[in-house]
Amino acid sequence: MRSKLNIRILLNIVGGLLMLEGAFLLIPLITCIVYKESDWLVFLCVMVLTALVGLALRKIPTTSTRMGKREGFLLTASVWVFFTIFGMLPFIFCSTPVGLSSAFFEAMSGFTTTGATTLKFPISDLSHGMIIWMALMQWIGGMGIIIFTLAVVPALNTSGGMLMFNAEATGITHDKIRPRISQTAMTLWGTYFLLTVILVGLLWLGPMDFFDSLCHAFGTISTGGFSSRTGSVSEYGSDYVLIVVCVFMLLSGMNYAMLYQMAIGRWRAFSHNDVVRVYFGIIVVFSTLFALGHFLDGNVESVEEVTLYPVFQVVSSLTSTGYLAPGFFMWEPFVLALTFIMMFSGGCAGSTSGGAKIDRLIYLKRFLSNELTHCVHSNAILSVKMNGKIVNRDLVTKTIAFLSLFVLLILGGGVVMSFMGLKPVDSFFSAFSCICNTGFGASLTGYGEDFATIPDAAKWVLSFLMLTGRLEIYTVIILFSRPFWK
Amino acid sequence: MRIVIAGAGEVGTHLAKLLSFEEQDIIVIDQDGEKLDVLDSSYNLMTVKGSPTSFYTLKDAHTSRADLFIAVTPSESTNLVACSIAKSLGAQTTVARISHYGFMDPANKEAMNRMGVDRLIYPEYLAAKEIATALKHSWVRNWFELHEGQIILVGVRIRDNAPLTGMQLKEFASTTNHFHVSAIRRNHETIIPRGDDRMLAGDVLYITCTREHVPDLIKLCGKVEHNIKRVLVMGGSKIAIRLLDLVGNKYRFTIIDNNREVCENLPEKCPNAEIIHGDARDPEVLAEARIDECDAFIALSPSSESNILTTLSAKEFGIKKSVAEVEDMQFIAQAEALGIGTVINKKLLASSTIFQLLLDADSSSSKCLALTDAEVAELEVKPGAKITRAAVKDLHLDRSMTLAALIRDDKGMLVNGNTVFQPGDKVLIFCLAGSLHKVEKLFS
Repeated sequence: MRSKLNIRILLNIVGGLLMLEGAFLLIPLITCIVYKESDWLVFLCVMVLTALVGLALRKIPTTSTRMGKREGFLLTASVWVFFTIFGMLPFIFCSTPVGLSSAFFEAMSGFTTTGATTLKFPISDLSHGMIIWMALMQWIGGMGIIIFTLAVVPALNTSGGMLMFNAEATGITHDKIRPRISQTAMTLWGTYFLLTVILVGLLWLGPMDFFDSLCHAFGTISTGGFSSRTGSVSEYGSDYVLIVVCVFMLLSGMNYAMLYQMAIGRWRAFSHNDVVRVYFGIIVVFSTLFALGHFLDGNVESVEEVTLYPVFQVVSSLTSTGYLAPGFFMWEPFVLALTFIMMFSGGCAGSTSGGAKIDRLIYLKRFLSNELTHCVHSNAILSVKMNGKIVNRDLVTKTIAFLSLFVLLILGGGVVMSFMGLKPVDSFFSAFSCICNTGFGASLTGYGEDFATIPDAAKWVLSFLMLTGRLEIYTVIILFSRPFWK
Repeated sequence: MRIVIAGAGEVGTHLAKLLSFEEQDIIVIDQDGEKLDVLDSSYNLMTVKGSPTSFYTLKDAHTSRADLFIAVTPSESTNLVACSIAKSLGAQTTVARISHYGFMDPANKEAMNRMGVDRLIYPEYLAAKEIATALKHSWVRNWFELHEGQIILVGVRIRDNAPLTGMQLKEFASTTNHFHVSAIRRNHETIIPRGDDRMLAGDVLYITCTREHVPDLIKLCGKVEHNIKRVLVMGGSKIAIRLLDLVGNKYRFTIIDNNREVCENLPEKCPNAEIIHGDARDPEVLAEARIDECDAFIALSPSSESNILTTLSAKEFGIKKSVAEVEDMQFIAQAEALGIGTVINKKLLASSTIFQLLLDADSSSSKCLALTDAEVAELEVKPGAKITRAAVKDLHLDRSMTLAALIRDDKGMLVNGNTVFQPGDKVLIFCLAGSLHKVEKLFS
């Protein structure tokens, strides 16, 4: 009854995608040549290797191009793993080499836009080529490898491509903006690309040079939180930089399909959207709480500390970017508690941010309040509504199952991490931070340590959690389920 | 092309799947969210939930920019209203599925145009026409003729007794060049053959030839042309009524239906036929209807399974031509393999009409024949088309299509490697499912 997995077509497509990754490697290669750095050879070799492996996989003869749902899941997950494997090679062979586990962790952290790092030395020790590669990985992973491919490779404009799109895109339901999947992907990437270009321009106008603007733009739009400076975004001491970055983080935390609708003048998409309302609501309320807490603490020295910094911090945490506002470590402990909530929630579905997504939490909240009403009025007919429309019961069930699985994975991940010899706080916090793709180190909690100190085995566990979180759990977990293979 | 399909029923779903494989932009409208979810999650298309007769829904589906609007909901009046609204919103061409002949009557064409309905699909009428052709040419499974029969394409199943069986295509071509083997259907799969492919017993061959060579073809395929006189019909459905309307006076019809009410109403619509109330699945009822004296058996009941099985038992009574309506797509191949002469499917017939529209939106004369996984179409060559640039053998055609024959100056001829097409030629093309867009490119 079950048909065999069509492995050949999977390898074929993976091959095509690797050739694309090879093309992306041109960017760090050129950077190295421009800055006359020795790493150019590493990038050249990795590029050629990636392209050759891609070409070899591409040459595998296929008997049929049939792709089912299972192939869609497996392909999407394996594409991400393959990208990570080839993306980590520069880390191992560059002028500042790291071990295999760390390299894999770095690459996975990059592609999944987590932004956690295990590097034991300041970022400025890396060559420019490595820095741009780290930023670029986040940028590719932000909107998604598959979605990028769908936009540029017309051959995938089929139902197979559709299945892959569904397995990669974030959110509960995937709104198609236009009838064909490649058009939808092109629209999303177009919006993403345009935002990046505008941000680069704006940052360049400020105190940053072109190279740093590019890196920070990649880190911001993808909500990965990569910074080419050791002191991150606050190193510049410029409010202009913080404001610009904050606005673009805010945009990247919203649904890209909606951003596109707004860009072409359909404001209805924006004004009739429950999620956006909640998104801004959280930002306003939490920023006020942050500012109030800091103000009551009594050691406010400047206006920014109760206006810009709290807003920046809230947006950064909520969108899972992970930039820190200046002086974060001096803030109240309850700020940290609120940060946990924001890390869990993440931005809107269909954005580049991580976490469980606000949409799901809204479903949960409305479902729970219905359940409570039911306890009192058992005959009441209640349904979960979103944007004024009734949400299908199955979808609500699926969402709640997702949230349960999400929490279970955080707990399970934490337990596994503590097996590896980490302290309990570090274990749970790092698992949490990785699955939400935020990338805050456990040192944030005040008594933990950073990712740099965790043992090698734990890095693989965290890498797995990052991938699971980025592909919104089902795509990865389903590969470990019986029904998938039986 | 941007195509909006209203109604995710059987025909709508079939069309949406098919056209999404043909690289068209498809938007499907339906009120049933669950039906749409199935389509949305596994096919490359977009869905909009809502009523097809609501201005808002149609606006959401970007009907104003649609090249083609197809209304195929179960309700005829919904379809007509939807088309009318779509036209007023700016859809280029509108197509409505209807179920009464009155709308098709040429006398009412102008009224339809005023309503904003450009084309009509009437699957029951198409099915009746198909059956009428099958009765006229009892030795074939499919019969498709171009330009008043100048060029004929037949689908025929060959057995061991056929002189053709076992021959390689190039051998066959060396003995005679009056025939073009366009496609072979073998083991549920249609292939476009090459010179070294063999024709085997059990294959369905699609052969193109000119009219004067048809008698030779009958002999080559080991067939005999039967003269059909008496026809037994199972099920007094709409198709049966239309069929009797078309050819009711050419043959002697007997209709068996197991619904008394239907039977009592039939004499008014089918005055020349003999009506029997009973279950045609019962051999005694068949015997009572004197099946042993009948030449053809047509099963048109709502159940595909009953149609297939009853046709098989009718064949044991010595029926010479059998026709069965099979609406479940997955059974078509099985029914063909079981030796049912001609299989009728309303969805395929409806989709062939749409294909014709897609390929040649402005010519109403062009025809189309839809098979389960292939299409046969007639296309006119336009000045400057890619196809006119070289001889067929230098065009490097894809293996998913073949050019079978052409009509030039009202004369039919077969295509060979040295043929060079000229503007104004009408070409008979046989293409496998999913290659429509390649054909489009060739002719543009």
